Amino acid sequence: MHFQARGGFVAPGTEDFFLPTKLGFTSFESKAIYLAFFSVLLIGLFFYFSSRKAKVMPSKLQFAGESVYAFVRRDLGEDLIGHEFLRFVPFLFTLFTFVLVNNIFGIIPLIQFPTMSHVSFPYVLAIFSFVVFHYIGIRRQGLGKYLKGICFMPGVPVALYILLTPIELATYFVVRPVTLALRLFANMFAGHLLLLVFILGGDYLLHGGIVAKIASPFSFTFAIVMTFFELLVQVLQAYIFTLLTALYIAGALADEH
Amino acid sequence: MEMAKKPGAGGSGEESAAWSIVGYLISGLVIWGAIGYGLDSWWHTHFALPVGLILGAGASLYLIWLRYGRE
Repeated sequence: MHFQARGGFVAPGTEDFFLPTKLGFTSFESKAIYLAFFSVLLIGLFFYFSSRKAKVMPSKLQFAGESVYAFVRRDLGEDLIGHEFLRFVPFLFTLFTFVLVNNIFGIIPLIQFPTMSHVSFPYVLAIFSFVVFHYIGIRRQGLGKYLKGICFMPGVPVALYILLTPIELATYFVVRPVTLALRLFANMFAGHLLLLVFILGGDYLLHGGIVAKIASPFSFTFAIVMTFFELLVQVLQAYIFTLLTALYIAGALADEH
Repeated sequence: MEMAKKPGAGGSGEESAAWSIVGYLISGLVIWGAIGYGLDSWWHTHFALPVGLILGAGASLYLIWLRYGRE
């Protein structure tokens, strides 16, 4: 596609994130939507088969499934939320596996598209997280006490609340959900773009003159290196998204801030 | 399933502090910067935006100290 452009190399851009779809049902149809559904199917099947014939001596599949569950339960649930963690494990577990699988789609051959590079997916997940941690805070402390805890930090001269309260409100109600979503989106978007640059660039060089042909393998090699780097980023971003959600829940459960 | 029981830390680890601090810094700058910008366009002046930014950055640092530095 790109190397055919007459005016030279066309750098990949946002339009590469909106791929043509085959079926053409609605304007909502996109590769990202299909991948999201596919990931749900994949996660469901994986954990169904890994827990179906659970034994005391686990099979490899059971061990893999339980490792993921134990990681979320212990490192993201128990360590961060404390003694009430068990209620939140299903939510955190769903969030983690969904984000993880959809991120890793970015480097799986033939799929190679991170769902979360369409910003609406991280936004919806962040809204879930936002609703959950505020709801828990309000349920636990009552609306008035919860808002008071957010707005008015104890042990501060009263005049300073004019300065501090807007910051607290903005942090809890705007910055937290927005940064949660944008961090995930930007990482996936930039990562995919980076891979596109090196792969399409290598392809373009391959169709160029002799010097370009020699340079081309370096571009492809770097694309492979960056693919492994992307794997790291994808796992890390899934972890951070769930970690922060767990932290916000822990903050809402704590009585005093 | 392994069950290495550790007492719940209640989200007060250093890791958690680092993430929250970034959030506070952003919202301090954005909120007071926006207020400053609003005042500037209302009064047709040019000083309120930088004052707001500095005030916001200072206030969010103070808030961070209150929340994470005191203990």
